[in-house]
Amino acid sequence: MLFRSVAATAKTLPRTLNTISRRTYVEAVENALKLQFSLPHETLYSGSKVNQVNLPAQSGKMGILANHVPTIEQLSPGVVEILEEGSNTAKKYFISGGFATVQPNSVLSITAAEAFPLESFSQDNIRKLLTEAKGKLSDSDAVVAAEAAITVEVLEQLEAATK
Amino acid sequence: MLARSAITQSARCATSQIRGYATLKEVELRLKSIKNIEKITKTMKIVASTRLSKAQKAKAAAKMIDQADATFYDVAKTAEVAEAKESPKHLSIAITSDKGLCGSIHSQLAKAVKRNLEANPTTDIVAIGDKIKMQLLRSHPENIKLAFNGIGKDAPTFYESSLITAKILEELKAQDYSKITIFFNDPVSSLSFEPSTKPIYNPETIQTSPGYNVFEIDPEGKLPTDLFEYSLTSQILSAMAQGYAAEISARRNAMDNASKNAGDMINRYSILYNRTRQAVITNELVDIITGASSLD
Repeated sequence: MLFRSVAATAKTLPRTLNTISRRTYVEAVENALKLQFSLPHETLYSGSKVNQVNLPAQSGKMGILANHVPTIEQLSPGVVEILEEGSNTAKKYFISGGFATVQPNSVLSITAAEAFPLESFSQDNIRKLLTEAKGKLSDSDAVVAAEAAITVEVLEQLEAATK
Repeated sequence: MLARSAITQSARCATSQIRGYATLKEVELRLKSIKNIEKITKTMKIVASTRLSKAQKAKAAAKMIDQADATFYDVAKTAEVAEAKESPKHLSIAITSDKGLCGSIHSQLAKAVKRNLEANPTTDIVAIGDKIKMQLLRSHPENIKLAFNGIGKDAPTFYESSLITAKILEELKAQDYSKITIFFNDPVSSLSFEPSTKPIYNPETIQTSPGYNVFEIDPEGKLPTDLFEYSLTSQILSAMAQGYAAEISARRNAMDNASKNAGDMINRYSILYNRTRQAVITNELVDIITGASSLD
């Protein structure tokens, strides 16, 4: 097994020399899920190997493992759980929405507008903001009401997640 | 004739003498104002330097988002469909900022947009930032369909770009354009930048991509539309972040040069000032000595 993979690497070596460095990295390790988790202002993961990622997709919650079928999913507000290699506890981030793409080479790219670790939220604050937003739901201004509806959706998810 | 020329000659002498005394004051004032200019440019340089690291970070994060988008379109081979379309309706989104004092960065982008306009004269333009708007208004006022200002005060946020995207979608129906191009300044290094472009694909193009079936996508959902809107927002954001980084580093260089020039001028003027002062003192000494010797 080891010999075979060495042989395979040797075979791909002349080819990979010509391609860009990102490609070589991808070709060298085949059987792990690589996660790119990026926000507009920060990059949380840039291609590190993970065991599993659970996503709050709009079509329902889904878990992504290595060699998943290529897909693209819109994410709803919810918790992204990341099971890193060599660690038993999942890292949890709450996102406000975004997109997840599984590339054919076992690379999962998640792009979200905002993401914060779940433990950084305060339950009291969530409750306070939730009552505030609910008050605005029946506002006469349609824009304010629509914004409040989105806020309530996000906050309710967040409240459920932090419980 | 001779008399007249003698009179003008003497008049000239008189003015030059007056000027000789006035220059000392003038040179002093000039020197002071240049010193103030140097202080301002130096401060602006320091401000730009401190903002640079933040801008670089925003640029790096934005590039990652770009990459995620680009790999999807790469696999789906979306570019092939977009290229194959005949007589496409073009939309150019040109991104600069409101602020100047950063060298030729805005005019170079304007040149790139104009070059594209020569090839496709019917292109509609969205101008983001006052600088590009002013430059394009002069040459192609009828092409500008939308303009935004208040850009570039701080590193761009997702909220800003969503507001811009919402306006573009609402006012221009961006999804109907078969070719959308974003023009922005790409910071190649901390010293140089380059006007570059990137394409945005509309929902129809996304759906008809030859590689679209590689991905397992729910056919019921309106994913192409959602993806188009989301990637338009994030691409505008990343272009704005890169443009911002390019602008900040260009401003730092411009202000660095301006401070150096001001330093040179200060040197030249302080030598001139000292010489003039010395000349005045010598003149006065000559006067005193002449006066004293006439008494003997």
